[in-house]
Amino acid sequence: MAMEGKAQFDGSEIEYVSYNGEHHLPLIMNLVDQELSEPYSIFTYRYFVYLWPQLSFLAFHKGKCVGTVVCKMGEHRNTFRGYIAMLVVLNSYRGRATELVTRSIKVMMESGCEEVTLEAEVTNKGALALYSRLGFIRAKRLFRYYLNGVDAFRLKLLFPRPESNFPTDNESHRLLTGGIQPEENSMLQNSM
Amino acid sequence: MAEKIEAERRRAIEVPISPSIPSGEGTVWADASSLLGLACNDLRDDELINGENFNLFAAMSALEIMDPKMDSGIVSTYYSIDEAIENGAAPVPLSFDRTLDVQRIIDIMDHLLSCEATWHKGGSLAQTVFSSIYLMRPERTSSHALLHSYCRVIRATSNAVVSAVSDARTNEEEDLFTMTYGLPLKSEGDDKCLSMLHAVEEIISRQLRACKAPPSKKRVLEDIEPLQNNLDLEEGFCKALLCRLRFRKHFYHVLTCMRRPQGKGLELAKKHIVSCLSELDSMLKSGEFLRSNNACGTLEDGIEDKTTASGCQPIGFDSTLNSRSATPTPPRAIKLFSWKKAVNYFQKLLHDLEILCSYSSDPVFESVLRFVVDFQKFQPDLVARALVQLLVVQDGRLYGRDPMFAVICKDALLPDGAKNHDIQKNITVPQLEQLAINLLRVLCTNTSWQRRKLGKILQDWRIIYVQLELAFKKEYGDILRSSVDENLCIKICKHILIWVEEKTYWIASRFLTLGFELDLYSPSEYCMAYWYMYVILMKLAEKTHIKMMMSNETSRRKTKKKRDFVRDMGKDHQIPPAVLLFQCYIYVAEGLMLMLAALRNEHKVFLSLGPFNSEHERFIQHFELLQKACLPDNVSYFSFRETTIHARFSTISVYNCFKDAQRIAKELRDSFANDPDRIAELRRIEQVAEHNGIALNLICRLGTLDPSLKVSFEFTHHPYLAVAVVKRS
Repeated sequence: MAMEGKAQFDGSEIEYVSYNGEHHLPLIMNLVDQELSEPYSIFTYRYFVYLWPQLSFLAFHKGKCVGTVVCKMGEHRNTFRGYIAMLVVLNSYRGRATELVTRSIKVMMESGCEEVTLEAEVTNKGALALYSRLGFIRAKRLFRYYLNGVDAFRLKLLFPRPESNFPTDNESHRLLTGGIQPEENSMLQNSM
Repeated sequence: MAEKIEAERRRAIEVPISPSIPSGEGTVWADASSLLGLACNDLRDDELINGENFNLFAAMSALEIMDPKMDSGIVSTYYSIDEAIENGAAPVPLSFDRTLDVQRIIDIMDHLLSCEATWHKGGSLAQTVFSSIYLMRPERTSSHALLHSYCRVIRATSNAVVSAVSDARTNEEEDLFTMTYGLPLKSEGDDKCLSMLHAVEEIISRQLRACKAPPSKKRVLEDIEPLQNNLDLEEGFCKALLCRLRFRKHFYHVLTCMRRPQGKGLELAKKHIVSCLSELDSMLKSGEFLRSNNACGTLEDGIEDKTTASGCQPIGFDSTLNSRSATPTPPRAIKLFSWKKAVNYFQKLLHDLEILCSYSSDPVFESVLRFVVDFQKFQPDLVARALVQLLVVQDGRLYGRDPMFAVICKDALLPDGAKNHDIQKNITVPQLEQLAINLLRVLCTNTSWQRRKLGKILQDWRIIYVQLELAFKKEYGDILRSSVDENLCIKICKHILIWVEEKTYWIASRFLTLGFELDLYSPSEYCMAYWYMYVILMKLAEKTHIKMMMSNETSRRKTKKKRDFVRDMGKDHQIPPAVLLFQCYIYVAEGLMLMLAALRNEHKVFLSLGPFNSEHERFIQHFELLQKACLPDNVSYFSFRETTIHARFSTISVYNCFKDAQRIAKELRDSFANDPDRIAELRRIEQVAEHNGIALNLICRLGTLDPSLKVSFEFTHHPYLAVAVVKRS
C-alpha cells in the first residue's frame, strides 16, 4: 500500500540490529551529523557505544542504514536512569523511530532502570508526539537550553514500580480495574 | 622478552631534573616529556584517557575541539590582544580622515549596541561587548575624547547591569551573564563617564548649531571646528552622534535611578526612559543617512543582518581574543544580533522598565503578588527581571521599606497594632518572613525556572506551618480550641496560621497553572491537571474565606456579645467577592475536567496509553511535589479516578458548571467596577465559560450521532483555561 510522502516499503523489510562493533560507528556518525544540530566529536560517540553497546540500535533497509538510537544508563541522584542521547531516522523512514527507541527502552527496563529521560526542543512536535505516545511526560521546561536560544523540555518516562503504589484493599482495587476501559487494558497488555 | 621490554620502559621513564627551572623549598622541576610520550604511545587511536579520578565522561566532555560551532577558539586571527594592536587592528584615531573617523566611530557605537543586546539575551560579556579591543585597553583611547568617553560609559553601564543581576542573585541558569573574569569592568575614571560624555555632547551640539546657522551668523561661530570635513554631511553626522550619546547618558541614568533605595528614583527613571525611547527613534531615523553616506559602498546582501546602521563592518572587534580567560570551557560561537534587532531589544527593555517605574509600591502583599505575576505576561528579559526583584525586595524588606512581619499581618487581616506585637520575637517568625521574601524573589524569575522552584518550596511552607503551630502552642497554649478569646496574641497566631495555609495553596495553584502556560501537559493529561486545579482552588477559596470571616468576627466582637462561630457562618455576610472570583475558576476547572472525562469515557479520546506505563505513573510524576507536601491531605490518583470515572455527557449537561461560572462572573462586575484588571479578568472567564458551554451542548446533541466530530482544546481566550473547539474532521 503506497502512502504519499513515504518511501514505499513494508515495515517487515526493516531490520533492527543491536550495535556490535566498530563497523557500525561510521554509520551512526554519518546519520547523526547529517540530521542533528548539536555537533559531536568521535569521542562522544565512543563514550556511548563502548560503555553501553546494548542500548544502541541501527535500522537497515535493504542494506542501507536508515536510522539509529544511542543511549546510556546509570545512577543519578539515587535513581537508576536511562538516557536517550540521540535518535535519528532518515526523513522517508520517519515512522520507524518508535520501533528503534522502543527497543532501547525495553533493554533499559529489563536492566532495572526506574526511569528514562531525554531533552527535546519545545518546537520539535514530532519528537514530542512520539515520546508522549510511549508514556513520557514533559517534566520540566529548560529556558534557552539550546545554542540558538530555543527552550527544551526534559521528557521522562517512569516505569511502574514493583512495590505497591496500588493499595491492597478491595475498594481501590475494584476502582482501578473498573476504571480502565477494556481497550486501554488490552493495549497495555499487548505492548508489554 | 617481557622483562627486557619492562626494563627498557623503566629506563625511559627516568625523568631528568630540569636545570633551567630553579628548585624551590619543597619543589623540584622535572622534564616529563618522555613520560608523556610513553603514555601517549600506550593509547590506541581514538582512545581516551580513563582513570579513577578522570572518568570517560570527564574525558569526553573536556574535548570539544576543532569544531568551530563548539570551539570558537579554533578560528582566530591573533594570539593576543597585544598582537592584534601591534598589527593595527584597533587604530587610534580610527582614521586621520575626520569624516572616515566619524563614520567608523558610529559603526563602533552601533556594533557595541548589537553586542550589548546579544549579551543581555544570553551571550557572554567577553565574547560580545568586550570583544572590542578599545574597551579592553582603556588607556589607549585617551587621546580621542569621543571614543574614550563612549568606551567609559559602556564599561560603566555594563558594570551597573552586572551588579544589578548579581545582587538579585537569581539569574537562574544564566550564569554566563555575570562572568567578568579578566575584563576591565571597573576601569579607573569610568565613574566620571557622564561628565566626559557631557563635555563631548556639548561640543557636538555646538558643531550642529554652527552648521545649521544662517550665513550671517556663521562668522561668529566660525571658531568652532566642524566635526568632520564634508560640510554637506555635517548636520547628518552630528545628529547621528548626538542621539547615540544621549541614549547612553539617559540609559545610564535609568539604571542608577532605579537602583536608588526604596524606589526613590523611580519617577526620575521614568523621565529618562522616555528620553531613551526618543533617542532610539532618532537613531533609527539616522539609519538612512548613514547607509547612503557610508564608507564601504553599497551592500551586496541587505542591511537586515548587519550590526551597524551604515551596513559597514566595524573595526577593532575580535571575539576570539578573550576566549581563553573568559569561560571555563571552550566557548561556543555566537551569532550577534543585528543592529535593528538590538534597537528593538532596548525598546522592549525600556517599555518593561517603564511599567516597573509606574508601579505604585503599595505595601499590600496581595497587590505585590498580583503585580509580579502580571509583569511576567510581558515576558521580561533577565535585566528587567533582576530590576523588578530589586525593586520589590531590598534588605529583607518590601520595597526596602516595609518590614515583612507588618506586611504579613496586614495581609492576614490583623488589626494595625499586631505588627508591633512581641510575637515576632519568636524564632519561627523570621523564618516565615524569609519564606515570604523568597516567594517574591522566585516570582520574579523566568517562568520555567520559577515553576520548578515553586514546586520545591511547597514543602518549606508546609514545614513552617507545623513549626509555627508548635511554637505558638508552646507559648500560648492550645489556641485551636479557643474560638472566642479576645487576646491579641491568640488572634495573631490564628490569623498567621490561616495566612500560611492560604499562601501555600496559592503557590500550589500557581505551580499548576504555570504547567499550562509552559505547555508541560499534553492533552491526555489536561483532565487530571484540571482535576487537581479544582481541588487546590477549592482549598484556596476555603482558606481565604476563613481568613476573611475571622477578620469580620474579630471586628464585630467589639460591638456584639460572644457568639457561636459556627452558627454565624454564612448568616450575617454574603460570600466576599474575592472568594466568589475563586468560585468562577473552580466552576470552569470542574467543567473542563468533567467534559474531558466524559470525552475519555464515551468517545475514547485523550487517553493516556502507552506500552511502558499507565496514567498512574504520569499522575505521580506531574503531581509528585504536591503529593509530597500533602496538598491537600488524603488526595491521590484514586480520588481522581473516582471523581471522573462516571462522567457522562448526559449528566454533566444538566449540572452545567460553565453556566454557573458565567452567572457569578456577571454578578461580580459591580463589585470590581473600579478595578479594570479584574473587569478584564472576569470578561475572560465569561468568554471561556460561554464557549465551553456551547461546545458542551454541541457534543451532547451531536456527539454520538456524528463520529466525524473532533474536539480539541485551545488556549485562545485564557493562558490556562482551555476552550473546547468542535470541528468536523
